[in-house]
Amino acid sequence: MENPIYISLSRMMALRNQMDVVANNVANANSTAYKQQRVLFSEFLKKPAMGEQISMVRDRATVRDMSQGPLTATNNPLDLAINGKGFFVVDTLNGPRYTRNGRFQLDGKGGVVDVNGLPVLDAKSKPVTIPAGASRVRVTSDGSVLTDLDPTNAVAKIAMVSFEKEHQLVQVGAGLFTTASPDQQPIPASNDIKITQGMIEESNVKPILEMTNMIGVLRQYQGMQKIIDAEHERQKAMIQKLGRSV
Amino acid sequence: MRSLSIGATGMQAQQLNVEVISNNIANSSTTGFKRQRAEFQDLLYQNMRRIGSTSSDAGTIIPSGVQIGSGVRTASVYRIMEQGNLTITDNKLDLAINGNGFFQIQLPSGDIAYTRDGSFALNPEGKIVTSNGYVVAPGIVVTAGATDISVSATGQVQAKVPGSVIPAIVGQINIANFANTAGLEATGDNLYLETPASGTPTTGLPGSTGLGPILQGTLETSNVNVVQEITTLITAQRAYEMNSKIIKTSDEMMQTVGQLR
Repeated sequence: MENPIYISLSRMMALRNQMDVVANNVANANSTAYKQQRVLFSEFLKKPAMGEQISMVRDRATVRDMSQGPLTATNNPLDLAINGKGFFVVDTLNGPRYTRNGRFQLDGKGGVVDVNGLPVLDAKSKPVTIPAGASRVRVTSDGSVLTDLDPTNAVAKIAMVSFEKEHQLVQVGAGLFTTASPDQQPIPASNDIKITQGMIEESNVKPILEMTNMIGVLRQYQGMQKIIDAEHERQKAMIQKLGRSV
Repeated sequence: MRSLSIGATGMQAQQLNVEVISNNIANSSTTGFKRQRAEFQDLLYQNMRRIGSTSSDAGTIIPSGVQIGSGVRTASVYRIMEQGNLTITDNKLDLAINGNGFFQIQLPSGDIAYTRDGSFALNPEGKIVTSNGYVVAPGIVVTAGATDISVSATGQVQAKVPGSVIPAIVGQINIANFANTAGLEATGDNLYLETPASGTPTTGLPGSTGLGPILQGTLETSNVNVVQEITTLITAQRAYEMNSKIIKTSDEMMQTVGQLR
């Protein structure tokens, strides 16, 4: 009998999560290489009794929109952007992590590190280092790092990987991704994926969409409250009518 | 409501963004100033339904779970070392580097600082100093009574003394460069210090490989593009507003809950 209330509540719970996702997208509208998220809802069937069937809603998954963000020029030699589906590899204590944020810098020993100081790996899974004394660094579109000390031979080739099932990557914050299962292995990115030097990939959040989503979430939330209100009134009326002494 | 605190992190980040932009605009006429840019990153994620967890006894796994982020943080505020415009001043000791490189300045503490601001002058002892009176390395003394000072593209300083036809060489200005100039630490007064992130300096003659030549009678203006800063300011302000809307909406949703009976 309370089914309308439970259905509305399932929707309200799902909407709360959707609001959190919208809020996170808006908060990260200026984060380098951030990918916007969406919530995926699915019907959740329940058969209480007598052939009756009610469907509730649950938030099944958050999906990432992995489309390319706009590129902004910074002209810093160690700012790299990936054009196409690919990731840089950085080394952490817990194994490699994947990122599209190519804002790199040098640590004290000439190693190329990301914004949090994690070493950037080359195609042979070794940290990329710039030899001492180099004053100009050039990164070609395939990731080869050249310095003014030896303009013809690359000192390293920055690793670029891609995944068959990109949506299965898990986000761990700070723009980093990790693999969820051991059978999901990175494969070297195809040759048509290019690195651009002196550019940064912006976030691909579309603020107008997020604002309209947010308004939609609020109105639906209020609508669900109205349904619960109406159901409450209906039950009250029923109890009063049926409970009246004859 | 997690979205309340997420909105708050977003507002904080945009506030910092506006601070960085206002500092850029305030320094748009500072000689040799390099503009800054705030960089943001997403915070940790909470796994409501973990990707890759088993969903049945048959060993099927969840292909994509529910991951909810917790907002944004500032990762770094870094400097964009693009060349600024060059303006001609015709002042003999106004020097600009047309390309890569930094002038080396001896700080009173004995450390070396680096600058792109070449508005130099002579101090009472005849040394070439910055506008703050710090000595330009290696401490070139211009002979007293010199009538004409010239600085060549390769940094050679010559002075003409009355009574002599040929100008005398009084010193050599070398410039330094870093592998990652964005990693330098700004200390104010247009000076930068070496950090582990910048790498160690390599010094050389101006105009040699990788270093720009010196232009005499020229100054480098800031590389702030005011139009660009204003548009970024508008974006930052709108983003700030949108984050406040998120907080307002979360508030209204909580109010809705409060109206449930």
